[in-house]
Amino acid sequence: MIAADFNYEAPTSLDEAFTLLRKYGDEAKILSGGHSLIPMMKLRFASPECIIDINNIPGLSDITREGDIMKIGALVREAQVEHAAELLEHFPIFADVTKLIADPQVRNMGTVGGNLAHGDAANDHPAVMMALRASVVIAGADGTRVVPIDEFFFGFYSTAIQPDEILTEIQIPMPSPYTGSAYHKLERKVGDYATAGVAVQLTIDANGICTYAGIGLTNVNPLPMRAARSEEALVGKKITDETIAEAARYASDDCNPSADLRGDVEYKRAMVGVLTKRMIHKAAQRAVA
Amino acid sequence: MWVASRELATRWCVANSRQALSLVLDKISTLVWCLIQPMTFKNMAKKLLGDPINRVDGALKATGRARYSADIKRPGMLHGVLVMSTIANGKITAIDTADALKVPGVVNVMSHQNAPKLAGMDKNKPSEIATDRVLHVFQDDLVHYNNQPIAMVLAETLEQATEGASLVRVTYQTQPVKLPLPAGKADMSTPKQMPRVDDQVDTKRGDLAAGLAAAINRMEETYTTPTMNHNALEPHALLAYWEGDKLTMYNATQGISGCQKRVAEIFGMPKENVRVITQFLGGGFGSKGTTFSHVMLAPMAAKLTGKPVRLVLKREQMFGMVGNRSATVQRLNLATGKDGKLLATAHHSITQTSDFDEFAEPAGTITRMLYACPNLDTTHKFIRANIGTPAPMRAPGEAPGVFALESAIDEMAAQLRMDPLAFRLANYAETDPNKDKPFSSKSLRECYRQGAERFGWSKRPAQPRSLKNGNYLRGMGMATTVYPMNRGESTALVRLKPDGTVQVETATQDLGTGTFTIMTQIAAEVFGLSPDQVTLSAGDSIYPTSSVSGGSRNTASTGSAVTQAAQEVLKKARQMALKDPKSPLFNVAEAEIVVQKGGQLQQKSNPKVGEALTSLLKRNGNKPLEATVQSKQGDEKGKYSMNAFGAVFAEVEVDELLGEVRVTRLLGSFAAGRIVNLKTARSQVLGGMVWAVSMALHEKTVFDPRNNRVMNANLAEYHVPVNADIQEIDGFFIEEADDIVNPAGVKGIGEIGVVGTVSAIANAIYHATGRRFRDLPITVDKVLA
Repeated sequence: MIAADFNYEAPTSLDEAFTLLRKYGDEAKILSGGHSLIPMMKLRFASPECIIDINNIPGLSDITREGDIMKIGALVREAQVEHAAELLEHFPIFADVTKLIADPQVRNMGTVGGNLAHGDAANDHPAVMMALRASVVIAGADGTRVVPIDEFFFGFYSTAIQPDEILTEIQIPMPSPYTGSAYHKLERKVGDYATAGVAVQLTIDANGICTYAGIGLTNVNPLPMRAARSEEALVGKKITDETIAEAARYASDDCNPSADLRGDVEYKRAMVGVLTKRMIHKAAQRAVA
Repeated sequence: MWVASRELATRWCVANSRQALSLVLDKISTLVWCLIQPMTFKNMAKKLLGDPINRVDGALKATGRARYSADIKRPGMLHGVLVMSTIANGKITAIDTADALKVPGVVNVMSHQNAPKLAGMDKNKPSEIATDRVLHVFQDDLVHYNNQPIAMVLAETLEQATEGASLVRVTYQTQPVKLPLPAGKADMSTPKQMPRVDDQVDTKRGDLAAGLAAAINRMEETYTTPTMNHNALEPHALLAYWEGDKLTMYNATQGISGCQKRVAEIFGMPKENVRVITQFLGGGFGSKGTTFSHVMLAPMAAKLTGKPVRLVLKREQMFGMVGNRSATVQRLNLATGKDGKLLATAHHSITQTSDFDEFAEPAGTITRMLYACPNLDTTHKFIRANIGTPAPMRAPGEAPGVFALESAIDEMAAQLRMDPLAFRLANYAETDPNKDKPFSSKSLRECYRQGAERFGWSKRPAQPRSLKNGNYLRGMGMATTVYPMNRGESTALVRLKPDGTVQVETATQDLGTGTFTIMTQIAAEVFGLSPDQVTLSAGDSIYPTSSVSGGSRNTASTGSAVTQAAQEVLKKARQMALKDPKSPLFNVAEAEIVVQKGGQLQQKSNPKVGEALTSLLKRNGNKPLEATVQSKQGDEKGKYSMNAFGAVFAEVEVDELLGEVRVTRLLGSFAAGRIVNLKTARSQVLGGMVWAVSMALHEKTVFDPRNNRVMNANLAEYHVPVNADIQEIDGFFIEEADDIVNPAGVKGIGEIGVVGTVSAIANAIYHATGRRFRDLPITVDKVLA
């Protein structure tokens, strides 16, 4: 399939990009890695009038730590994440998730920012960022704002980013000591969207009490979903088989999957349960390791 | 060295630098290349395991210069885009093309209302070749299946034609839909014939009831496999144009000569007026083997418009008109006596065909010969459904049939508490029990032995569910694999030139498997030359007729023709030498003259006596020696059973809670006669094994039960494995000399990688989980159920 005609702009600064965005309004789409946008255009699910390629804008491709915050630029590729030593040291979840995203060719181009900005609950980073309680930096001509991940997703392909704005950065709070994180998704075959996916980050104090829990779910809800009751079931308690089972049950009950070729609702709920258990175990092991 | 046209062959056959190559390629539209790596020859006798040389077309493919059928352009060319039916059974009552014709650039819309009539297509008269299809396209208003081509929009650009096709409105009168398997089993009938016409539809041996009665252990189970669709990377594509009454087609076909014959037959014209060119193919797996509807449509449209027409199928259009692998429902009975010897075997298969044409998936044919068993019944029935007619798909019949058989064998071994390999050895067939003939060669014992040793089969605990790896249960399984040696008619011309180089001409196509490479190797070996001294002109019906690349037969067929023609030329050279008083070999007995490395003729008993072929030719008029040989099967088929055999071993890991199955190790050992090129051969068997992973775990065509529309006609939902699905995989060959099968000594390797591997994986899943899966593909939902 061949995409419909479109204009192509490649600004070299954010200001230039903002001007273009104002000119085209919601007829423009931002191109970063293109691995969600281009297939949609080829299938003619999307036919934007203009593509604004932000790959030539400097300063968006770094992973840097600033005090208590880890910053991931909008153009950071999945492949870059796979090899980012400091990020992986504190957030082993990124080693889990990048390996499960498509294939190396796609990861060489696809960006973490694009994975979020696409606003698709089937993508993997939304659940991860929920578990890590990340925030998203959104810039426009009138300035920048920092939006917590819980307030970022609005609907299918719809996020807090306005038509004249660009996602420029993701900010992740550095974890306390004794924190571990983990992600897994169940796929029918390698490279498929998740049948279900679960991201977990836990902090466990010296007494074995869970002081932080973040749990995000992939592709089992119209929006990327925080498993809030599961988190509450863990915080302030010891991580035992019982508390884990309770948290998994809540995740399974609270998610809202739809039946499709990947399976029916009951099956997906069951898989969310199994994955939640396993990811809590894995995150807890990593927290105390 | 390989050249696609005669004049270029002469002009460029000595070009041998990369620079020359690029110049040539930049300037001309035809293909020329040279082999870069010279080969050394240690042994002039036919090598059983041939040199693993690189493909002669490797650089062209790696640099994107290989031109496939969809890449060919012609001035004034129109693009055709098909309009497909949206009902499965009924009649077209109206086709409204007004809006489509308004699209700028749209030239015409072809349908049954204005399409040229096909003089030679009588859909009620079966073709002489069993696998030839009814090609009654655009000849009437009937719709036989969903996604059937019913109109074709012709425009100056692809975009215009695509737009036009979206605007054609069709109204129908619908009829009730006949569903494919597993529904619709009520209306079964017996096929008239099997795709290989000498295979019987049903067979009986001994007395099944008596065998069952005498047995100590019995099993009876039903195995089911779904409809599957071929999905070659390269979509079906052709460019067709007429010059007067002569038709030229650049067509992605697995059978240039067969296509030429069939197209001529259906258009009612002499074969000589049809030229078919296939420079490169991106796979076919049977869906480009015979001639399909679209191959008629482009020349029809070219005739209608008076312009060249290019037609490239969209991926979703490949789910219907270009064949599929029939679903199967197979019931297996096995019964054994003491010592685990098979006393009775029954294999009853139900498959499906379309409501207007016949193709019978021959699922039970291998069961007749794979093991020694005195009492055996096999039957084939099919149902008719409103679907596109099935076609051969990589190991048609053998792949689903051996999945059932080798699963049943594994089940019986488990029942007997015998090692699955030991059970197979206990029932080893020393002669073909179906044909009651000796095998031309059979090295299956050696395949079992070496395969088991390399795989570490002895480490397999007898008890299922004994091996674990974290969350995963681990299991090991194996199966026998087999594929009959098929051979068709092929003709080749071989010309030894005074400069010592050799030219080979034969129409053959290269499916992508390496045919062009190994044909040069075969000719080179006969003359003691290196492959870069051989030029192959092929991929075009202007060259001598050759076999289809299907049923693993092309090397056996065209390779034999090249072997025989080269040997014929060599014989002429020998005779020239012994009659030439100036030759050191003057008056030496013909049988005493052998060829040695570098194209040297030499006296066998006195190697010091001899001369180069070049000097012999130079002295004798400086003219080329040539021979054309038509090669076909002789009476060996009546005397012997000829088959390739192998053993496949699989290790899997199963996550019982998530239902995930991963194939962690696959190893195949194969005995397939002579292997011409170890590198391309290994790639082919590995490809077959990957195909089996796909069949075991992924592939399934899903029909909407309301209207038989394929619901997963795309590669996002029709699953095939990707690199990350495949872990450790290897295949190797047992040395097997077979002078009976054919002059090339080869049995074929295109399909044997698939056949047993499917059940080896299923058997490994049984060993991991203790549960038997008899319905393919083995997906997460079934593992969890």
